[in-house]
Amino acid sequence: MNNVWVLVIAAGAIYGCFCILMGVAPGMILSHTPPVAGLKPLTAAEARGRDVYVAEGCSYCHTQNVRPLVQDKVFGRPSVGGDYAYDTPQLLGTERTGPDLSNIGARQPSDVWQYIHLYDPRALVHESIMPRYTWLFQVRPSASAGEITVPLPPGYAPANGVVIATQQAQDLVAYLKSLKQLPLGTVK
Amino acid sequence: MSVSVELLRDNVEPEDVALFSTFTISATAWLLFSTAVGVLLSFKFPYPDWATNPALSFGRLRAIHTNDAFYGWASVALSGAALYVASRTSGIPVAGKRFAWGGLALFNIAAILGTITLDMGINNGDQEYREWVWWVTAVFLLAVIFTFTALLTTVAKRVEREIYISNWYTLGAFVFTILLGITAYIPVYQRGLGQVAVQAFYMHNAVGMWFTFLALGVTYYALPKLLNRPIYSYALGVLGFWTNLFFYPVIGAHHYEFTPLPWWFQTLAIVFSVGMLVPVWAGTGNFFLTMRWQWETVRRSYALPFIVVGVAYYFLGSTQGTVEALRSLQTIWHLTNYTVGHSHATMYGFITFIAWGAIYALLPRATGKRPPVLATGLHFWLATVGVTAYVVFLSVGGTEQGLAWAAGDPFIASVEAAAPYWAGRAVAGLFMFLAHVIFAYNVFMMTVGPSRESDRYERRPAPVQST
Repeated sequence: MNNVWVLVIAAGAIYGCFCILMGVAPGMILSHTPPVAGLKPLTAAEARGRDVYVAEGCSYCHTQNVRPLVQDKVFGRPSVGGDYAYDTPQLLGTERTGPDLSNIGARQPSDVWQYIHLYDPRALVHESIMPRYTWLFQVRPSASAGEITVPLPPGYAPANGVVIATQQAQDLVAYLKSLKQLPLGTVK
Repeated sequence: MSVSVELLRDNVEPEDVALFSTFTISATAWLLFSTAVGVLLSFKFPYPDWATNPALSFGRLRAIHTNDAFYGWASVALSGAALYVASRTSGIPVAGKRFAWGGLALFNIAAILGTITLDMGINNGDQEYREWVWWVTAVFLLAVIFTFTALLTTVAKRVEREIYISNWYTLGAFVFTILLGITAYIPVYQRGLGQVAVQAFYMHNAVGMWFTFLALGVTYYALPKLLNRPIYSYALGVLGFWTNLFFYPVIGAHHYEFTPLPWWFQTLAIVFSVGMLVPVWAGTGNFFLTMRWQWETVRRSYALPFIVVGVAYYFLGSTQGTVEALRSLQTIWHLTNYTVGHSHATMYGFITFIAWGAIYALLPRATGKRPPVLATGLHFWLATVGVTAYVVFLSVGGTEQGLAWAAGDPFIASVEAAAPYWAGRAVAGLFMFLAHVIFAYNVFMMTVGPSRESDRYERRPAPVQST
């Protein structure tokens, strides 16, 4: 081959076809996957919480994809395309250093548990290696009316003051609680 | 006295020497930064309470580690080498130097902006290897387009009749990456499951159509040059080029097996992953056959061992990729740290070692300054032992994770099972980082460092230059 333009244009044209066939076309078709029956878009607070989840990179350790395998049964029913109809950006993940969160809203519905766990995971699961998200909380001498204080077990609470959940923490917990798999039945 | 062929200095005009040197120095700075971040991340596994701070948190730094290693280090190191190779094989100096310099500046601007935004928690939705927001990636793609302009102009103006096989691969890499980058950032077909399909396509192609093509391209030049014999088979190189182009774009969905992506779509990806054995074995066979019966030359060279390890990891890592794609093995290995081991076998064992091999092979030819032998040997052994230990630790640890899940143990059992291997990985990472510090010293000695007695002693008289 001694014509550089033929080489570049031929290789580019072939790869361009692959981009359309393997990227654009599947993306376009699957973007129209209908939601599972009863699935609702996130509320404003849940959507803000999802933004915190994305900004902190939670999906590098937590998948949101239950596989049709025996070992995944503990996390819920196998995920279907319709579960992700309102899920953009997609957060399926490729690493499961921590548990899958597809159905965490049903599996762990307690606000208090989530707040303690976000502030210090080792307060609840001693062997956990999850980072502490202390910057989603404030430590203050006392709480004002309407503020959410986090009841940490002895040894994990700061020496002075109380731990208060910021708006970001509240949004994130709202999002985590929204992660509930809907029963299939009407969807094949 | 054995004078290695590595000491023959090329007749290169001073600005091309500066260009190659600056690309390499810039890439090395990003290698040091991104792998310092990697070491920090690896120590967060055994010490999760260490450096609890948003700017130093795992979720933000992970993307900084991968993106800066990809786009600050490997892309720039291999682009610099590709430009040099294009100039040598075309018989002319690098053409369109303004574009080459501009490309280098833009690569750095993109990596700096990308690092700052990611550390602020501003990202493109945790989509692996395209975490940079669109306007940062736009700067990166502009860098790719600028560098491509210089590369294409150089090859187009060549005085040699044939386009040497290296340039097929490197030109292809730039064309593919421009198309891929545009495809990846148009949002209209990326909602919900649709984005999963695009992400599958993107993440494997970013590795396979960019780094693999660049690394193979520079190997097709550096290896025969170092051995002073032609490549074993030009035809195998051409076969590898086209089969890479036809198989790679289809295999991405093997990162999303057992997801709601259509089952046949996943199966297609697995079938083509098996097909990948053709270009991988054609390429590695070709390289090893080129080296045949020259092991004494390999042993005496300081650049060839890096290429030997690079080609070996290309063979092992890519063949492992095919095996990993099979559904039966994915049930255990997928989502575990086994895949992190695999990505280091390929992006580090293969791509990074080839980049080092090319730099050690070609940079002294351009500058006339050799790296110190002892430091180069230390770099080689620390990096080789480091990455091998890294891959072994995570492969075993990942398998333990997968087996714990399959056994139906409580989830935390998989964390406890992997914990000792994560500690081992952190130590292996430290070895690798130490190797990079030595490499940085060698880059200094090959570029701006003082000329040494041993260089003058062994260097052949440089051809007279018309400057």
